[in-house]
Amino acid sequence: MRSRLIVSVLVALGVIAVALSVWSVTTAGQIARPERTADGHPNLSGIWQVTSTANWDLLAHGMRPMVGQPGVYADVQVLAAPVVALGEAGIVPPGPGVVEGNAIPYKPDAAAKKKENAEHWLDRDPELRCYKPGIPRAMYMPQPFQITHGTDKIQMLFQYAQASRTIHMDQVNPPPADTWMGHSVGHWEGDTLVVNSDNFNDRTWLSRAGDFHSDAMKLVERFTPITADALRYEVTVEDANVFTRPWTMKMVLYRLLEDNAQLMDFKCVELVEETFLGHLRKNQLVKRWDGDTMTVDITRKIPPVDKLYER
Amino acid sequence: MTQRAFVGMGMLVFAVALVSLAIVYVAGGTPSGGKGLRTPWGAPDLQGIWSQQTDTPFERPAQYGQREFLTEAELAARNTELGARPAHSTYRDTRKQRGTEQDVAGAYNAVFQADRPNKSGRRTSQIVDPPDGRIPALTSDAKSRQAAMKTYLDDLLQGSSGGRPGAPLADKSATHPPIYNLERMNRADGPEDRAGGERCFGAVMPAMGALQRIVQSPDSVEIFYDIGQGGGFSRVIPITGMPHLPSSVRQFYGDARGRWEGDTLVVDVTNFTNRSEFRGSRENLHLVERYTRSDAGTLAYQVTVEDPTTWTRPWTAIVELNREDGKANLVFEQTCHEGNYGLLGMLANTRAAEKLFKAGQGPDPNRMDLATGGGGDN
Repeated sequence: MRSRLIVSVLVALGVIAVALSVWSVTTAGQIARPERTADGHPNLSGIWQVTSTANWDLLAHGMRPMVGQPGVYADVQVLAAPVVALGEAGIVPPGPGVVEGNAIPYKPDAAAKKKENAEHWLDRDPELRCYKPGIPRAMYMPQPFQITHGTDKIQMLFQYAQASRTIHMDQVNPPPADTWMGHSVGHWEGDTLVVNSDNFNDRTWLSRAGDFHSDAMKLVERFTPITADALRYEVTVEDANVFTRPWTMKMVLYRLLEDNAQLMDFKCVELVEETFLGHLRKNQLVKRWDGDTMTVDITRKIPPVDKLYER
Repeated sequence: MTQRAFVGMGMLVFAVALVSLAIVYVAGGTPSGGKGLRTPWGAPDLQGIWSQQTDTPFERPAQYGQREFLTEAELAARNTELGARPAHSTYRDTRKQRGTEQDVAGAYNAVFQADRPNKSGRRTSQIVDPPDGRIPALTSDAKSRQAAMKTYLDDLLQGSSGGRPGAPLADKSATHPPIYNLERMNRADGPEDRAGGERCFGAVMPAMGALQRIVQSPDSVEIFYDIGQGGGFSRVIPITGMPHLPSSVRQFYGDARGRWEGDTLVVDVTNFTNRSEFRGSRENLHLVERYTRSDAGTLAYQVTVEDPTTWTRPWTAIVELNREDGKANLVFEQTCHEGNYGLLGMLANTRAAEKLFKAGQGPDPNRMDLATGGGGDN
């Protein structure tokens, strides 16, 4: 009886030791990603992306021109320059919205500013200038981001504009100044990663629809695995300068499962120079300027298939 | 199964396990290691904030010949010398001739200068191969590329305050540089005339001794480089065995693929673009980087640089990175472009100067020097 117990213990120890050694060997090489980290938390490492249209508009919205003008009917917009040549590619895709209750509780003057922002989207949206997206917007840009789930940091690198953020799971000093991407500190509540962020500046927006915030913004984000390849993402936005109460967005982050999925260069700074510095060229390339007014000449050569009268 | 056989099997399993653990331990080699230098999943731990806190010349001064390390006496002498050196380079204190572009540019750049280390490294140079510690000779291709660009840039300076003042003015009309311009050019017709750094894509790979944050998981490593007046960058190194991107796709920081060789993370980087340049090498740059955690406070970064269109042979440099205080958390996000009023200002000022000159109200902007002011030239 006693020897049987010893045998069982030996066998158990042996199995554990073999398992450990095999595990060490495989981790030294290239391994498949386990669903949990070594300390038992959901493993968030991987490449993720929303499929929603939240970056276009956080609220429920139908399709509409990216830039519109009144058509024959004043209430039915048609594509306007500068997107008229794009055809279908110039349409904002519809979306059922990501805001709880489908309303953002702006204070009255802030609501007016949001409306004005939307009307001057091309001039004001920091995204169009390739500026850092800030949080939460980075989380629902229509481009992938990669999470590297480290031991005391969770690092996120966003393909858009090479933006990155560090979620500190340990104690660190806050940054010495306000930031575009915020200062984020995380902890686990069961299988949910809860992240508190602050130290934001007031330069980033929340969407292309003109949603904005002040430097008093504080966020609480919650990342909860639904499956191995999907995370429920909730973010509560609190900013007493702009909103009457905290409000919450909910969406899903999907894992990119393609064999060749990877982050690629989207260093857009180079390609936005023409839009924002083109007026300072000695010799204009593609635009005409009259004082402060830029005129974009859109040239579309009618392809034969559209010239029915010639058939 | 008899009880004896059962006991025997148990012993055998245990023995095999012990042996295999021992093999792993030996193969994994944690001599300098110990706990804390490995991640919970058993890989060498590369994580933390790292920077180069010692001063080591990039190329080896001739006096050391083929010797890789300083003697104790040489080290002591260098430390004394560096300890007496001002923490920042001279142009924070010494001014160029007042009223010149160089004086203004120097003052601007001095604000952003980080202090220099006042301790010497043990190495005689960062370059360890070739054995003389010097960058190998350029290929004739590279020489002619660089000569053509130098001629082009020199010509644009002709007759200005920065080069041969009084000489006939260069023809600054829209002539294209022989290769994509990344230099300070004595022309500001548009953003492409300005240097890569002035356009916020001046930070390049390999970022040798840069201040950096490394975060690591079993299948990826992300590195954030905090360098160059906010012009830093991030990159991710997949450790998944996937092949490189097709060669038609070119990237500013290349395309990185990592793998473990023993306790060293080896990263192969290809697919660079012609709009980033490391010491004369552009789209044909190929890097093999090696990260090795040498001890609690040190991460050795070794990089082999190869480009047969630029150098006559590959070469290798080593930087010993020192661990920074994690709690102090002294890295700051990269936002060069977001605050880049400089590029806009350079173009706007040049247009304004042209307008004033045309109206007979200002000096000839063509006689001004927009190229040589304040940079790393002193």
